[in-house]
Amino acid sequence: MDEKFIVLIQNAPPGFKLTVHAFHQCEDRIKWEAFGHYTSDATGTVNVSEDLSLGGTYSGVEPMGLLWSLIPVPGSKPGLRMRKLNVQTPMEVTISVYQGHQTEGFVDLVSLASVLVERWHMAPGIRRIPITEDGLSATLFLPPGPGPFPGILDLWGGGGKLVEYRSALLACHGFASLALDYLTNKVTIETGNFVDNKYFEAAYNVLQQHPQVLGSRIAMVGLSLGCAITFKMAIYSEVFKLSCAVCISGSHVQPVAGSLEHIMDYFKENAWKTRFSEENETIVRDLLLPITTDTSFKADVGRLQCPLLLVVGEDDQNWPAYESAMDIKEMMEGAGNSHLLTVLSYPNTGHLIEPPFTPHTRASNFMSAASHKSTYLWGGEKVAHSHAQEDAWRKMLLFLRENLYAGRNPVLTSFSHL
Amino acid sequence: MRLKPCFNLHRNLTGLHRAVGAVRWRSSCRPAPLLTAAPVRALIDEQISIKGHFLLPSSPVTVCARMHSEDGDLWEAFAHYNTNADGTVNLSRDHSIGGSYMGCEPMGLFWGLQPAPGAREGLRLRKKYVDTPYVVHISVLDGHVSPSEAQGAELAAVTAERWYMAPGVRRIEIRQNTLVGTLFLPPGPGPFPAMLDLWGMGGGLVEYRSALFASRGYASFSLAYIEHKDLPGPKNCLNVDDSYFKTAFHLLRDHPQVCADRVGMIGLSYGVYLALRNATQPGVKPSCLICINGPVGSTIKLSDAGGRTENIESNNKYWEYDDQGLVTFKEISSPANLDPESKVKIENITCPLMYIEGEDDQNASSTDNANLIEETLRAADKSHLFTRLSYPGAGHLIEPPYSPNSRISLWRVKPEKVFTLWGGHLAPHAAAQEDSWKKMLEFMENNLRR
Repeated sequence: MDEKFIVLIQNAPPGFKLTVHAFHQCEDRIKWEAFGHYTSDATGTVNVSEDLSLGGTYSGVEPMGLLWSLIPVPGSKPGLRMRKLNVQTPMEVTISVYQGHQTEGFVDLVSLASVLVERWHMAPGIRRIPITEDGLSATLFLPPGPGPFPGILDLWGGGGKLVEYRSALLACHGFASLALDYLTNKVTIETGNFVDNKYFEAAYNVLQQHPQVLGSRIAMVGLSLGCAITFKMAIYSEVFKLSCAVCISGSHVQPVAGSLEHIMDYFKENAWKTRFSEENETIVRDLLLPITTDTSFKADVGRLQCPLLLVVGEDDQNWPAYESAMDIKEMMEGAGNSHLLTVLSYPNTGHLIEPPFTPHTRASNFMSAASHKSTYLWGGEKVAHSHAQEDAWRKMLLFLRENLYAGRNPVLTSFSHL
Repeated sequence: MRLKPCFNLHRNLTGLHRAVGAVRWRSSCRPAPLLTAAPVRALIDEQISIKGHFLLPSSPVTVCARMHSEDGDLWEAFAHYNTNADGTVNLSRDHSIGGSYMGCEPMGLFWGLQPAPGAREGLRLRKKYVDTPYVVHISVLDGHVSPSEAQGAELAAVTAERWYMAPGVRRIEIRQNTLVGTLFLPPGPGPFPAMLDLWGMGGGLVEYRSALFASRGYASFSLAYIEHKDLPGPKNCLNVDDSYFKTAFHLLRDHPQVCADRVGMIGLSYGVYLALRNATQPGVKPSCLICINGPVGSTIKLSDAGGRTENIESNNKYWEYDDQGLVTFKEISSPANLDPESKVKIENITCPLMYIEGEDDQNASSTDNANLIEETLRAADKSHLFTRLSYPGAGHLIEPPYSPNSRISLWRVKPEKVFTLWGGHLAPHAAAQEDSWKKMLEFMENNLRR
């Protein structure tokens, strides 16, 4: 799913106007399309990876524009977001070529040629293992081979559900990855109570104790609310010993004491700061602004002992990720551990920084943990956001590989078994 | 924090770590090395790039491939490498210094696959069901070992799928108008150029080459003509005549998604004779012909003017057995020994013809037949139609690339087991398959698309 493809059209007449079109029907039965306008060269060839799109849902030289610029077909409901929940089947995309520079009514046109492309989250040999012990709602993805593999604990945000696709992709890159649902898990659904810190520690232990996971090389990746948990566990948990952490579109502003319940209460207390856009979209970035100076409401990042990668969109309308990143930098510089910090900050990029080629969603219908449904504004401009996703993913993989696979090793302890 | 015993993997302890072997990795503080393959899902004729990372620098490793055929036999290949100073091995860059192949061979693990020790004799790797992939388990092992020595001592592994059929290709069983075959259509509206695909005397319905052609944009029809349960008549005879092949050609030509004037034919072995014979029949006008290692006439006596033959076994006094008891059909396919009534009038060919010849073909007299075709066309002033690709060291079974050659395989089980000698040596045959496939596709593009 994070691989690039090459779309090549050949044997067209030279200088021929044509439209390259992508079509996908997602799991929710919504139809998505993207298209680019091209002119074939003197040999009658169009190479989407090298040639200029003159218009459509994307323009310019964009090898993967046919995927990241996918939008719901005209007539669809507003506020939609494409998410694949079943990672065991591929995303099927039909790529077709039409005569002329078409902009609409593709379903009624006859294409000149088409191919079917399969985009997978899971490589062959990856093992998908549901985990339900200790009341956990999680899925473990193991790469093929004997291991041991470094481990990753993978947390998403306030929307809940067990979102597996990032973990599946991480496993394709050699990491044992555990996707964890901590908002719509069984116990929370049944009792209405949020999980406590022990829930996350149990998840960590699943990785730590797994015979094919290298217990001394575990990382945590969090998005949005998942970052809050990441900071809490990385800094304050006795159980967690992370090799590194990645926080995407999140903040360190949270009550230091307590657990998830207290974090959620803190948001509720600040909910009056919610704003609305002209289109009535919910903007909640102000809930944590201005960044407080009260240290009992900020995770003490000065105490971090492992490398931290922050990925933030400067147009994040949902969390003040950029402002938080700047504050984190200041705190770590003050504490003398800023050598551990890397910040990737992307202009015109919104909140939902997802694996590459995922279509950008500027706003969508969202059911918050308070069970209140509305349209939330995430932010970001399509092109910049899509490029940011690609760049951030690549750099995140490098960061994880560096810290989990290469050199930098706790020094050996004893030769007593020799 | 509890202290865990942990081995330091500094190079000074290389000798020790080798003695400890696989156990070392499991109890160490380092993760296992990383082995990657790209793409992990590929068509059979696509190259897969295999790399190992985070291995010990300048150290011996073995890269190994294992897979099960559809019959459940285990096939394996392996190669010995020394990692680079940065602890990597890259099969597209590095040289194998031993194993199933030598030198820099990015796809050697696939064309070098051989039956594992203890396997049944005379195996040949052929895929019957093209809608599922070959699943290949690729691993990297410590040291220079053979796969059987290294059970359970893998350092890292990756699984690759190799497909004969691309997504979107449609497979259509054809049992109409007496025809027995399978049609493969590329995805999309068409119309497509097309190929009629004929195999040899082994019979049955062989689909994989057609599936690949369809994956490359050609409508392709695999036609069975002998030894298939849905075909009429007694066993071991060719019971269909010229009208059968004409019907097949017309099915393709008249298909709404096929370009009527862009239909070619490909034949291997006896399929060459059939392709040539039908190309010179009225009503059949292929746009091009590809002939692989086959004769210009029938190796079995014809029983009628329509092309049917007598029993294959009726010729068996001409089958040669070499000193190992292997049967070959070289003599009976020599131009001088072919049924004279069946010899095709090559001078009547009107379309481009590509002849692919394995110089080590031990099964058919390919060289003699190729010479005959070349001379006949030259005499008829038609040399411009003829292309000949000749491959030293290649045998009879020149198939799609990156599949292992079988120099010998089981030909018949009853009344007794007979093995046949196909010829071809592993590495040169693999090179021939790779090169001829590429040139075949170019030939098809030039004659069927432009």
